[in-house]
Amino acid sequence: MDKLIFKVRNIKKVYNNKIVLDVHNLNFQEGKIYAIVGPNGSGKTTLLNILNLLEKADEGQIFFYDQEITNKSNSDILEIRRRITLVNQNPFLFNSTVYDNIAYGLKIRSISPKVQKSKIRSALNIVGLSDFEDRKANQLSGGEAQRVVIARALVIEPEVLFLDEPTANIDQKHIDVVERIIKKIKEEIKTTVIFSTHDLSQAYRLADEVISLLDGKIIKQVPENLLQGEIVEENGLKRFKTMGNIKFAIVSKKVGLAYISIDPRDIILSYEQFQSSARNSFLGKITKIIEQNHLVKLEIDISIPLVVIITRESFFEMNLNLGSKVYLTFKASAVKLY
Amino acid sequence: MDFIIEGIRKAFHLIFTLDSEIFSIVLLSLRVSLTAVILASLLGVYLGFLMAVKDYWGKRFSVALVNTLLALPTVVIGLIVYSLVSRKRGPLGIFGLLYTPSAMIIGQFILAVPIIIALTHSAVQGIDKRVRNTALTLGATEAQSAWMVIKEARYAVLAAVITGFGRVIAEVGAAMMLGGNIKGSTRVMTTAIALESTKGEFGFAIALGIILLFVAFSINILLHYFQSKRV
Repeated sequence: MDKLIFKVRNIKKVYNNKIVLDVHNLNFQEGKIYAIVGPNGSGKTTLLNILNLLEKADEGQIFFYDQEITNKSNSDILEIRRRITLVNQNPFLFNSTVYDNIAYGLKIRSISPKVQKSKIRSALNIVGLSDFEDRKANQLSGGEAQRVVIARALVIEPEVLFLDEPTANIDQKHIDVVERIIKKIKEEIKTTVIFSTHDLSQAYRLADEVISLLDGKIIKQVPENLLQGEIVEENGLKRFKTMGNIKFAIVSKKVGLAYISIDPRDIILSYEQFQSSARNSFLGKITKIIEQNHLVKLEIDISIPLVVIITRESFFEMNLNLGSKVYLTFKASAVKLY
Repeated sequence: MDFIIEGIRKAFHLIFTLDSEIFSIVLLSLRVSLTAVILASLLGVYLGFLMAVKDYWGKRFSVALVNTLLALPTVVIGLIVYSLVSRKRGPLGIFGLLYTPSAMIIGQFILAVPIIIALTHSAVQGIDKRVRNTALTLGATEAQSAWMVIKEARYAVLAAVITGFGRVIAEVGAAMMLGGNIKGSTRVMTTAIALESTKGEFGFAIALGIILLFVAFSINILLHYFQSKRV
């Protein structure tokens, strides 16, 4: 099971003079589940599209098993394209029935209608939509559509299944369903799965290996509370402005676009705002509570979500609940700059 | 007033007795216009599709040109084709096409092509860009993915073809100049109406007018049906 299905060597992709992907050495083994994590704009989709032969890299080489596929024309790689498939973020369903949608990949492979039928049945079974065959595609909910799209990909029995942010646009109930489907694919079909996500804990829940991308480069690990934004100067002080227009006091020499992260252990929670040397203090609402051994991980909405980790003792002592309003306080020097 | 009422009465009589002359004219009209539109669709849908999906030099110009051609007067088409197929003098004169249904088909073809290109172009442009990528990721060849895009645009493309047909079945200028309105050979509904009313044969003209209106009405019903099927 340790055969390399994909090898990536020194791949570079440039859009508008900006390097969006710069990957030196990356291997994917047969039969494993890989998660590619990183914030929006980190190059996840570009990497998936290049591996899927939908986009060409500007430099470097890609090997599928031992065959180089870097600069092949579309018709040369048709045979390889047919052994892999990608489920896009914002999945698209053809304007017909669920059955016809799933049948498409089989039809273009000239598979007989009878075989098509049994394959479609079992694909729908895996995603738990057995009685959806005759439904019109445009009448499905977002979560149902996502499952149909996964069935449509599975039915062609790909050797590698790529999923681009499979849970980005669906509700929590369907996120759980999709995660179960991914686990099932690994256990029952043993297809290699490569999916992207910006949810770090999802990546670790599902994947055998996690690949972290930041700014197009592979980094050791994506930290929690990674935010993209801009460093601006106000009255001689440097501030980091997030996409959600929240401003953090930071310590920085430069200005301009940047990534920052805040270690969730460096954030202090309190019910009252208190005077201290820490430069950052925000009121937020607890939206998620996850217990991890002797620690508790909280997701707190300060108009952007921040993760805070505290001990179980503090958690119970403060009597925190979902919806509790608390102040988050951290030093300017706790904000790490990239 | 009497002649109008008399004309309408006679018109219904002609229609309900299935007058052979009326129906041979109607059949010829349909044959000429359907042939022209089928040929125009083969070219128009293809070009409209390419214009929508390909990037090429002069793309904006070609879109503007096609849109301009939508307003092409039928008599100008008649004039151009006439000068080309004119026997003895025209470059295509040796084929002896002038005053034949073939010449009318050529004229109507030229009339319909820009309409079908323009409407197919906007139909395909309106199709989600993910259709092609989705087809490709599922293992389609370039041709198969292109076909899928057209299939997704099918109702709008059909509407383009029907609009083209509506335009050519109702035009009179090119049919008159290129067909010559020869009885039993190139006389179609519109040219017959023009001639018969000047002759004072109102019943005959009104009968054809009613049928033409009926055709136009059916076309619109079809168009409406296909447009409502979109999205």
